[in-house]
Amino acid sequence: MKKEIPLAITFISGFLLIVALFVPHRPFGDLEQRFNDWYIIVAGFTLILGVDSLLAHHWKIIRRRQPGAFHSMALILSFIVTLVWGVWDGLKFGNPFDPASTFLRYFYTYVFVSLQATMFSLLAFFIASAAYRAFRARTSTATLLLVAAALVMLGNVPKGYLAIPPVVAITGLLLAFHFFREGQETAETTMRIVYWGTALVILVLLYPVIQFLYHNLPAVKDWIMNVPHLGAKRGILIGVALGAVAISLRIILGIERTYLR
Amino acid sequence: MSGMDLLFTWIAAGLTLAIFSFLYRDNPFYKFAEHIYVGSAAAYWFIYLWFFDVKPKLIDAWISNTGFERYILIVPAFLSFLMLLRFIPKVAWLSRWAIAFTVGMGAGLGITGAIQGYIVPQVKAGMLPLWTGQWGNSLNYIILVVSTVTTLVYFFFSKEHKGGLGFLAKVGIMFIMIAFGASFGSTIMARISLLIGRLYFLFHDWLHLV
Amino acid sequence: MRNFWEQLGKIDRRIVYLFVFLGASAPLFLHVVPKFKASPEVVQAYQAIDELPAGSVVLFSIDYDAASMPELQPLLEAMLTHVFRKDLKVLMMGHWPLGLPLGQIALEKMAKRYNKKYGEDYVFLGYRPGLAAVILNMGKEIRTVFNVDYKGTPLDSLPLMRNIHNYNDIALLVGFEAGAVGDYWVQFAQARFQQKIILAATAVVWPDLYPYLQAHQIVGLIGGLRGAADYEVLVNQPGSASTGMASQTVVHILIVVFILLGNLGYYFTRTWRKPT
Repeated sequence: MKKEIPLAITFISGFLLIVALFVPHRPFGDLEQRFNDWYIIVAGFTLILGVDSLLAHHWKIIRRRQPGAFHSMALILSFIVTLVWGVWDGLKFGNPFDPASTFLRYFYTYVFVSLQATMFSLLAFFIASAAYRAFRARTSTATLLLVAAALVMLGNVPKGYLAIPPVVAITGLLLAFHFFREGQETAETTMRIVYWGTALVILVLLYPVIQFLYHNLPAVKDWIMNVPHLGAKRGILIGVALGAVAISLRIILGIERTYLR
Repeated sequence: MSGMDLLFTWIAAGLTLAIFSFLYRDNPFYKFAEHIYVGSAAAYWFIYLWFFDVKPKLIDAWISNTGFERYILIVPAFLSFLMLLRFIPKVAWLSRWAIAFTVGMGAGLGITGAIQGYIVPQVKAGMLPLWTGQWGNSLNYIILVVSTVTTLVYFFFSKEHKGGLGFLAKVGIMFIMIAFGASFGSTIMARISLLIGRLYFLFHDWLHLV
Repeated sequence: MRNFWEQLGKIDRRIVYLFVFLGASAPLFLHVVPKFKASPEVVQAYQAIDELPAGSVVLFSIDYDAASMPELQPLLEAMLTHVFRKDLKVLMMGHWPLGLPLGQIALEKMAKRYNKKYGEDYVFLGYRPGLAAVILNMGKEIRTVFNVDYKGTPLDSLPLMRNIHNYNDIALLVGFEAGAVGDYWVQFAQARFQQKIILAATAVVWPDLYPYLQAHQIVGLIGGLRGAADYEVLVNQPGSASTGMASQTVVHILIVVFILLGNLGYYFTRTWRKPT
């Protein structure tokens, strides 16, 4: 019984929604609405699952005076202060987020927003340094990734095109140099001509490419976003959607039951 | 600006700097701010649960509804109560009933949304004419179709990527890389924006330098 | 020489941090606002709002929080400016509890600026858990989801709400997205109820939403701080997004330069390591 009833509940609720999609009339349409309404109420309670173990964990650290007890105390204290402050203002104004409440004006605007926003702004530094260290043109696919990222980054800001001439010139010269050396090192004459020819083509095309990118960067960015990027994203997301359908079906049919653990 | 605003601007600035100090290395100031964040966020969920769920949907509804509509509220209230039993180890297994309900609903909604809202319209939109009478347009449409199809081929693992299939998968990975590159470039942009926002707070709202 | 290239390939991360910090702060002090043209997708979104007749209802959904505030908050303010200037009515709700008050703060600020009255010109519905279930049930009757507004006032006692029951009464929905909620809006409100939608997203989420635009599942797409700056230009009210554009430009160029340096270092170190 410990397993059968939950499995039946899952099956009935999931299956009903699928039926209601195809037969939106009575009784399925109404039932769907009713189930959704219950879900809205019950889903709220999943928000607080896990809070108990968080608090218990930190309470344990404080009681045993383990290292970090001071920080755990700060956590529990901030939990209590926030809760009391919010409930107090909620009772006073009907909702703690009333424009006149001090909970909204001080706690939320200054304390909470500052903490959250700054926490995530740290990512700016990490991603910059990650881009510097990870974006190496090791393979042709890695190069495509790098070039697309650079063009989107520069195309997305007003004066990004200013970086185009030096960056593209250095990259082009480096590429030409690379092929020139490859040609030098190879013993085969035909391959040597191919390598040197490539180097020459790069050198010849360098100026027009710079010109083109310099004047059309936003359009190039839009093209990347709207054509190759969009096509691939669509493929990826269709794949993801199919995967979601498969997993959902497994859950409804009771094949996937890890959530019962 | 009142005295309280000033005080809280300084508190906000202090917390901001405490978190930024992590860039140097992990330290007690950062840890302190981090713990305050986690603690207050946890309390925040409780406040939300009460004021945007339990109070309006159960209590207010119980008061304003009559007859059947009132008493049917017992069902979701009971399920919610079961959910809370998770906190009591002896009867925690009963919370599975409520969890089973949310999981089943989630799965049902997931299937209908993915099929009706993504797969069907996107496949439809992906079926583009390969020749529109215009070179530029046609070329774009061809790239769109080819990139979608080859990307799907790349993620098709039921058959080994050899021969023709292997070639298509290789083309697919090229497009996937362009897509990831574009996404990554865009993500960098987002993160930088967040930093600019915080710096603006420090220099403008706090120090009044800019 | 080889040492030089090697060094170029492994600049200390704190030096990168310092450059990012300087690159982002210096332009703020210089007060330069670069000139730029709004992107086509943003113009498309702007027009979708601009075409609405006065009195139409626009529903704003706050699906982000403080973690993406610098990107979406200025955009929200710019769009509210546009909407209130055009005498459109505003409903606001959201799926991200942690960020919902941000929407409310912007709404109250703009309503005050344009002398709008609560209950007549705008209503703040608040939040309900359940995401897709909320979106679906709102398609039938908003009152079944939001029986009361955020303060507990029954919807029927708010004049604006008297004739609003479901998506048929909402001319346009604008979702402010920092996660997957935009997908839910499209997959449920648009796919099932043909709701007209504009998605305004952080630059992280924005690329993933392009397929919806091309498939005409949404009528406009606005992305990141740049999108916000574009909108500020369109409503002719430069704000923090436009101010941030100079910093954004400098840091982007810096990062590209760092990537280039890293690759130069990588290439030459590797070349010189080759046995000759």
